[in-house]
Amino acid sequence: MKTLITLTKRNVKLFFKDKGMFFTSLITPAILLVLYATFLSNVYKDSFMSGMPQGVVISESLINGLVGGQLVSSLLAVSCITVAFCSNFLMVQDRVNGTIKDLTISPLKPTTLSVSYFIATFISTAIICFTATIICLGYLAITGWYLTFGDTLLILLDVLILTLFGTALSSVVNFFLTSQGQLSAVGTIVSAGYGFICGAYMPISSFSPALQKVVGFLPGTYGTSLLRNHTLRGVLGEMGSQGIPTSALEGVKESLDCNLYFFETQVQTSAMFIILCASFIVLLGLFVVFNIIKNKKKN
Amino acid sequence: MDNIIEINNLHKSFNDVKAVNDLSFRVKKGELFAFLGVNGAGKSTTINIMCGWLKKDSGEVMINGFNLDKDGDKIKNLLGVVFQNSVLDSALSVYENLKSRASLYDIHGEKFISRLNELCKILDFEDLLKRPVGKLSGGQRRRIDIARAIIHKPQILILDEPTTGLDPQTRKLIWQVITDLRRSENMTVFLTTHYMEEASEADYVVIIDNGSIATEGTPLQLKNTHTGDFITLYQASEEDAQKLGLPYEKTRDGIKLSVKNTAEATELITKHPKLFVDYEITKGKMDDVFLAVTGKNLTEASK
Repeated sequence: MKTLITLTKRNVKLFFKDKGMFFTSLITPAILLVLYATFLSNVYKDSFMSGMPQGVVISESLINGLVGGQLVSSLLAVSCITVAFCSNFLMVQDRVNGTIKDLTISPLKPTTLSVSYFIATFISTAIICFTATIICLGYLAITGWYLTFGDTLLILLDVLILTLFGTALSSVVNFFLTSQGQLSAVGTIVSAGYGFICGAYMPISSFSPALQKVVGFLPGTYGTSLLRNHTLRGVLGEMGSQGIPTSALEGVKESLDCNLYFFETQVQTSAMFIILCASFIVLLGLFVVFNIIKNKKKN
Repeated sequence: MDNIIEINNLHKSFNDVKAVNDLSFRVKKGELFAFLGVNGAGKSTTINIMCGWLKKDSGEVMINGFNLDKDGDKIKNLLGVVFQNSVLDSALSVYENLKSRASLYDIHGEKFISRLNELCKILDFEDLLKRPVGKLSGGQRRRIDIARAIIHKPQILILDEPTTGLDPQTRKLIWQVITDLRRSENMTVFLTTHYMEEASEADYVVIIDNGSIATEGTPLQLKNTHTGDFITLYQASEEDAQKLGLPYEKTRDGIKLSVKNTAEATELITKHPKLFVDYEITKGKMDDVFLAVTGKNLTEASK
């Protein structure tokens, strides 16, 4: 156990001390912030205002709360995955630069090493994502706070589940990487692509029907939707109490992916939780199986 | 002396390439053993098999009486490796690196601090403990690599080209450290190197070529078997050398004669005492041995 703790500490320290790896993990959230700061925020504000029935007046605070909620949910949804991938790249780097030989020359059990990478990825990702969550909640408190205590707790739970999912996903994908080239390729694809396919950069509702059906098969999509539901429930409720018709609110929920469909069936938030948890368990199982096969091959 | 390493009929192929082909050798406890060969000769494959990183096709590897097939983990506790390129975490401090590596051998807490203090004294790196490994000079980093390799007091220290890329002064320093370690920790040193002057200090040398042993013996045996002696005459003219009827080479200071062995040199001197006023007899070098045995120059072939 002491060895596992020391190795995990080593992995976490290396991630935070390797500036390249650390800042790479923040590229996607940074892109998202730039997109919102430059134009997305205004686009969404105009879109919401134009979608409201004539004569309905919405306060600036409500609009800011709505756009802020969308930004926060997008930011956290991508961060949990991209940070996990970058943190888990240490496992690949150890293989590429030969450190793995130094670790496996010892009587260390291969299982302990794999578990140390997994736990370290989870801890590093959780540190960054929960810090980001606190900053995001602070941002919402300034721009427009409509979250209930329950929603705040659910957002924290969403981040935890997405962090676990990101850790398991990155462990499975990175398991097969053996070169710096592969590492860079996966890093670039995840950083650039994940924001799109999980609906963080643009809502899935704006995708073509065929593409919407495809992303319905990706568990990460439901993570974004869960966060959307929990960051926007308060502000949408407040809009309803200010007299905005239910049909208009449903339109907003549809356009922001709060209502998500698998083919024609609407997926409930409880089902989204189950999908994410099940995906985590399946990925974790795959990671364990891959390690068992690899160790058997060695022996 | 007992054998600490016994390799018997080792075979390893990669597709059609026989990387190691029926290799057998012994290493005695406490000796400095040099394992030489050009790149691709099979040195790394043999070491990788010994360390458990690579599966052998057939043959037997016994280390300190343990069979690699049955007692892999016990063998791992006996080995320490200094890699050609440092594989420590450059972003972490020396202390953090050694702490994480010590934990691999279940060395924690007081036990670790005590061993760290010992190593600090032996390798003189107490002032480097807080510095990141990436900021150390080549020589300093090598000392830390050695400390990492022996943190668990292994019985065999494998040095894979430990001084490649280091300046002569640092090489000398590293060898002083290794010599002291052999004495203080009573370790067997298994060395691969491209520097023949380092190999000539070994107790026993094995030269492999194309996965098989090309020759083996002590440096003196190899020199006597595969090279002749040289007599350098410092106060003689080229005409005098021609009279002797032996192959010679003119140097800046005199004439360098090639003779078969020391006996022939002695006979020559007693026959021509007036000619041999100021002279020097030297054995062939390990470079000459390597060239004679493999037909390749180790230093050149490795570039």
